[in-house]
Amino acid sequence: MIAPVAALGRGVARSISRLGALARFFVRTIVAVPTMTGAGRRVAFRVLVKQIWFTAVQAVPLLVILASILSFLVISQAVRELGRIGATELIGSLMVVAIVRELGPLLTAMVVAGRSGTAIAAELATNKVMGELNALEGMGIDPWHYLVLPRFGAAILSISGLIVFFDVVAVLAGFVAVAGAGMTAARYFDIVLASLTFRDVWMSVVKGVVFGTIAGMIPSFAGMAVRGASTEVPIAASQAVVGSIFFIFLGSGVFVLLS
Amino acid sequence: MNEPPILFEAVAIPGIPDGGFSLEVAALSTTLIQAPEASGVDLLSRYALGLVRPASGRVLLLGKDVAALPRRAALAFRRNVGYLPAGDGLMQNLSLRDNVALPLRFGSRMSEGDIAGRVSVILGQFRLAGAGDRRPADVTDEMRRRTALARALAFDPPVVLMEDPFDGLTTRASTELLTIARGGESDDGSRRTVFITGQQVPSVVERRIEWRFRLHRGELEHDA
Repeated sequence: MIAPVAALGRGVARSISRLGALARFFVRTIVAVPTMTGAGRRVAFRVLVKQIWFTAVQAVPLLVILASILSFLVISQAVRELGRIGATELIGSLMVVAIVRELGPLLTAMVVAGRSGTAIAAELATNKVMGELNALEGMGIDPWHYLVLPRFGAAILSISGLIVFFDVVAVLAGFVAVAGAGMTAARYFDIVLASLTFRDVWMSVVKGVVFGTIAGMIPSFAGMAVRGASTEVPIAASQAVVGSIFFIFLGSGVFVLLS
Repeated sequence: MNEPPILFEAVAIPGIPDGGFSLEVAALSTTLIQAPEASGVDLLSRYALGLVRPASGRVLLLGKDVAALPRRAALAFRRNVGYLPAGDGLMQNLSLRDNVALPLRFGSRMSEGDIAGRVSVILGQFRLAGAGDRRPADVTDEMRRRTALARALAFDPPVVLMEDPFDGLTTRASTELLTIARGGESDDGSRRTVFITGQQVPSVVERRIEWRFRLHRGELEHDA
């Protein structure tokens, strides 16, 4: 009778302990920012640019496909149903509320977490297993400056940029869907832009920063938490994706509650 | 004034249960500590660099207890010392050229052009000129080890710490590695102080080392 309760307690205690470690990792990362030297900043910037290439630029084709299909499906179904009751003007609200405000940021963050989160966790875990972190420290190079901060920064910048990109592609794909139903481009963009507020734009930016922090921090934490066995590398990659997606959904829920 | 470049004071290691590991490493010479795996000797260089803090005792490296320094000061101090970790510790996603350039980019104010020139000279000295653009996974063990040593010596440090540097290398390659690490000979000995820990060292290489110690039954024996 006591054993299941004890097992549950152990699980909860482990989760709380891991959350504490994640919080410490986050603080350590933030504290590392002002300690970078000028030379360190130059090197970190080069790594940051490379990471943006992997995280944002290489994710563009996948995002174009996802944003186009999602928007086309939602808007083509909506235009048919709303047309029956003569409420096609609501397509603008649907586009802004469902896609720009909610699904765009969520799907973009999940794509980055899935593509780059695994890569970050696996790369950092391998760095650790191969003794590269130890070597960096021995050379006087802070692994946080060289490895963690550029990936963290790239995740924030990439997700923020990709959310805007996703929204633009979704709006354009929505037009393809309504054009089939006979709506003109001028009418469609009038409706969409009338529904779009300044708040939607800056909320997208805020979501980009929050989801980017999650997608950069959790994989880095998972990768750096490896102790030294190569069998831990795939475990770290898996934990990175699961953890990132969980916190991205949680964050999305919190945004809905706050708005 | 004549303080030893490395001083171990009763450092706790499993291989010496009584009193710990104590040693004054002589300047401008090579010191070798040979010991079986799990004796803790493999951690001595990391203790000296402050990467790991010993359970008891302390290590002074160039007069500093690096483990007691604040993190930022410890990182800056380590740039005064060459470190060749076990394995090689090369960044697998960087070319050999970028691996050698890494400490220079982080720890100096040299321009990118000056760094490129300096790295080309170093690669030439280490017979790696033709392999600079290859990744560690694409070259031999010997080339990786030479690259790791080139990286460790990029700032021409007075002290070099080496962990198992000859593991898997031929006698010729091991001898060459030691010669490069010592940095040439003078009337006072070698140009650098070299501290080596390891399990197996080729006998030809052993004969070129001034101070050899072996951990035997919990005691450090001078291997004359």
